[in-house]
Amino acid sequence: MTLLSVKDLHVSFRTEAGLVEAVRGVSFSLGRERLGIVGESGSGKTITGRSVLRLIRPPGRISAAEMTFDGIDLMGASEKQMRALRGQRIAMVMQDPKYSLNPVMKIGAQLTEGLRLRDRVGAAEARAKAIAALEAVHIRDPERVMEAYPHELSGGMGQRVMIAMMLIPNPDLLIADEPTSALDVTVQAEVLSILDNLVRSRGMGLIFISHDLRLVARFCDRVLVMFKGRVVEELEARHLMQARHPYTQGLLNCLPRIGGPRAPLPGLDRSADWARG
Amino acid sequence: MALIEIENLSVTYHVGGRSIRAVEDVSLSVAARESYGLVGESGSGKSTILRAICGLAPVSGGRIRIAGAPVKTPRGKAFSRHVQMVFQDPYGSLHPRHTIDRTLAEPLAIHGIGDTDARVVRALDDVGLPPAFRFRYPHQLSGGQRQRVAIARALMLEPEILLLDEPTSALDASVQAETLNLLNRLRAEHGLTFLMVSHDLAVIDHMCDRVLVMQHGRAVEELSRAALAGAQMTTDYARTLFEASADRMLEV
Repeated sequence: MTLLSVKDLHVSFRTEAGLVEAVRGVSFSLGRERLGIVGESGSGKTITGRSVLRLIRPPGRISAAEMTFDGIDLMGASEKQMRALRGQRIAMVMQDPKYSLNPVMKIGAQLTEGLRLRDRVGAAEARAKAIAALEAVHIRDPERVMEAYPHELSGGMGQRVMIAMMLIPNPDLLIADEPTSALDVTVQAEVLSILDNLVRSRGMGLIFISHDLRLVARFCDRVLVMFKGRVVEELEARHLMQARHPYTQGLLNCLPRIGGPRAPLPGLDRSADWARG
Repeated sequence: MALIEIENLSVTYHVGGRSIRAVEDVSLSVAARESYGLVGESGSGKSTILRAICGLAPVSGGRIRIAGAPVKTPRGKAFSRHVQMVFQDPYGSLHPRHTIDRTLAEPLAIHGIGDTDARVVRALDDVGLPPAFRFRYPHQLSGGQRQRVAIARALMLEPEILLLDEPTSALDASVQAETLNLLNRLRAEHGLTFLMVSHDLAVIDHMCDRVLVMQHGRAVEELSRAALAGAQMTTDYARTLFEASADRMLEV
């Protein structure tokens, strides 16, 4: 069953230097599966993720032939309808907990704010739900974390708090924008396995945005590779090593490997036909 | 004789009445023309060691010797002729209101070295930037180009030792490859000695002959390149780091 369907998505920004087309005709569909979007900086992967929630500020403009989520037309929806979707049914985890949590609000208050205001849940019940959410992301002493401010948490803890926050309303679709890029490798592995378990056990759809092809390959079912606002290749994650497109191959080959040869790393040829236009 | 010798180095920061041991009792030695890696997670003290060598961290114990001579405090001009550092973030390490020309010419002016014009042009050429970049500002350059400028700046005084603090972690994968290739070429051409910090074992493995694994400010294990490739680590932590290394994810 298709949860999200995007056809011919364009996002452009009118700047002083002229029209910048960040996304140029991206199409994909997503069931209750894990889709990875990979690309280097400026490829349009983050803008694509944000477009689904219509979180593009002017002068940015979104247009699409079709963008539907669970039968709802996202392009035609009113701002009020979008607000009802955001967080409740489509949630987004941002890259850096340092900037995405409110620095002057305790974690407990941030976790329960939505429940209290939007769902009119009582204080005790909201607190119980928040603690359960923290336990679901493997935070050992949730009582202490509830009383902590964001600066008192490590990066890995902060990221887990953000994931917990997004999971409280039990969304159908989670968009994770580089959720582990700010973390150390061992913490990264832990956060990913938590995310993976939650997505599987709750049957959510996941869009996982990352610059790291290797990470996406291991974590997702399907991968979209983006370059200059276009999808250059779509493939099953387990067949990544058989990638056909020169850009995907280039991205894979330019990474050093433990025990690999000392020869200069192959660079990306940006002069080929596919890279133009 | 080793070019860089660090013996029982400890670094302690004093913050608001508390003291924090960032580095505890770490020893290492790097031979001339060797490339030595420091790997660990954030807070492991790897960058602090580089900062301590440059006199940018409060050393509370141990000795640092460069080419057999103990370093002086403050480090002084002679030190800068021998040792230079390249920082992680090329967005933060270049003066935003100085042209590339001024950034590259400044060390020459400080050290009273003439022939500025030719040296700046040669330095840009060395790191693969066109001469036209000379009169640009950092904001007109991409991240990879900025890091090339930062490397060119570090090489202006023709040092023997480059301290590299995560030189590619802020860059895209393809730009990282270009920058690593550049560093390897410069090391061969100029006979440089590298002390390089990274959180990425694969990058360290590609660049370094030996690597020291660090955790919580302490040295955990030193590995040769062959031992790393053969997964012959003896400590649990080094193994955990190895298993979690991103490049292994494709094998699974």
